[in-house]
Amino acid sequence: MIWLEGVSYLRAGSPALGDITLGVSCGELVVVQGPTGSGKSSLLAVAAGVQAPDSGAVWIADHNIVGLQASSLPYVRRNVGYLPPLPMLISDETVLENIMLALAVRGQPIDSAEADARETLAMVADSAWENRLARSLSTGQQRLVALARALVGPPPLVVVDEPASGMGGDDREGIARALVWARERGCAVLCATSDPSFAQTLVDVGGRQVHLEGGRIAGAPAIGLVPTPVQFPDMDMGTLKGVRGEQSSPTPYATSDGVREPEKADSAEVIQPADRRSSGEESS
Amino acid sequence: MTVAWILRRVRRQSVSARRALWAAAGSFLVLGLVSGATVLGLRATRGWMNTVGQSVHVIAFLRDDMQPDQAAQLVDLLQRRPGVARARLVEPAEALARLRDAARPLPATGSWLDDLEPGYFPRSIEVALVASADLSQRATELSRRLRGLAGVADVDAMTNGVARLAAWVRFGQRLGWAVVLAAGIAALSFLVSTVLRGREARRRQAQVLVLLGETSGNVRLPANIALAAAGLSGALAALVVLRLAWPALLTVVERALGIVPTPAGFFLGFWESAAGVLAAPMLGWVLGYLSTPVPGWVDA
Repeated sequence: MIWLEGVSYLRAGSPALGDITLGVSCGELVVVQGPTGSGKSSLLAVAAGVQAPDSGAVWIADHNIVGLQASSLPYVRRNVGYLPPLPMLISDETVLENIMLALAVRGQPIDSAEADARETLAMVADSAWENRLARSLSTGQQRLVALARALVGPPPLVVVDEPASGMGGDDREGIARALVWARERGCAVLCATSDPSFAQTLVDVGGRQVHLEGGRIAGAPAIGLVPTPVQFPDMDMGTLKGVRGEQSSPTPYATSDGVREPEKADSAEVIQPADRRSSGEESS
Repeated sequence: MTVAWILRRVRRQSVSARRALWAAAGSFLVLGLVSGATVLGLRATRGWMNTVGQSVHVIAFLRDDMQPDQAAQLVDLLQRRPGVARARLVEPAEALARLRDAARPLPATGSWLDDLEPGYFPRSIEVALVASADLSQRATELSRRLRGLAGVADVDAMTNGVARLAAWVRFGQRLGWAVVLAAGIAALSFLVSTVLRGREARRRQAQVLVLLGETSGNVRLPANIALAAAGLSGALAALVVLRLAWPALLTVVERALGIVPTPAGFFLGFWESAAGVLAAPMLGWVLGYLSTPVPGWVDA
């Protein structure tokens, strides 16, 4: 799960996010809806660990990733399936290879990665695209491929920014189904959209909606549901190095079952990796 | 990313950027050829200079009335003299035989040489001096002293020819250095520009991989490996080309200059070859590293 605590972020000197606190539990779908410029993309980029907030904490699997050293961030990011606002694909690679790369960084064997990538592509887009180069796709098609890459696996945390932007009715339904598919597999799904009707579609399938305006959460409560036991295997694989003293622990937060006392995050510099890394399977 | 995945990435990147990789391998080949030829060229010209130095003869032509034992004593005295590498008595028959050997390749020298008799030539002493920078002066000094000896009819110091040949060799060395420097700079510039041209594409690729959670080391690894392989291929190809072409080239040059041929088997040593073969992939690795900028936090 993910827990953003008092997150603020300045974009070119002006506040894009102000004191945001938001949690998404495993098996939960949270829809952040708001107009253009409300800070949705900044919020999702911070949640996905691709942008550092100016203040606050981002807890993923009980590690404050803001306090981690840069060399530890990859081990966090590989647990996050992130669809950025502009689909970032490797243009001279095939669609299938682009999707498989998300599994490559997690160390999944090539054969099973290929099978999983095909399955996800078929679910989200069109399996006939698999051998096309990414640069030959339209922007909308690239967005669907990037969504498939974010969902393949699936990773414990899925963060998708405007997945339905510019999509037609069938595609929007397919995207909603795919997000529900990820949620049903225990993923914490955080989706941003400026489209109220798409947000409503996700709410209709069990999503929790959060309104964002002027970089602040408005209206609905921003507190997550009861967290289920979380498995972030790839974060255990890596050696996460934090800055000493800054890896405290998340403050207790309210849930529907009362107040949750999060597990203490290790304040030591190094959190020891688990078995896969020591077996030599991982090359770095 | 596992080893299998990294090898797959190397293979796919090598296919998609095959032109740049061929160009890089070609640049490494040129660099290898230039470096190897420089080392070999320097060694060959140094050898020529030594050969020229060792072959310098101050020739003292003896009077007919000089007795053989006197000539032998004179040879013995000269051999003991500091700075003399070798002193040798040349009988008229040997002088004629040498003349015939030297004239054989030339056209229209035939019959009049056949008519010559050994008695036509005087007995002589050939003196080879130890090579040094003041060779010409020492040869002149020795010839002056020899002229004053009884029984010596004439002395040829042969310094002009030696000095001229040495000057040509030195000029050739300087010209060679200029060519080597120009070729080296051109090859290196081409290599660096080829690699850096793909920098923007690799930056975008790196950005995607960082977004997916790849470590900086693994993001760079495929480019490192591909360029190191290009370096290794170029260096090995350069070694093979030099091994095959150098002896023939050397023979042509030596024949044109009329220099005694360098002994067969003259080539780079094992460690020199190994150093070149190792340096090229290391340079490729470094270029792969420099050509793949990896962002920390991704600006999405």
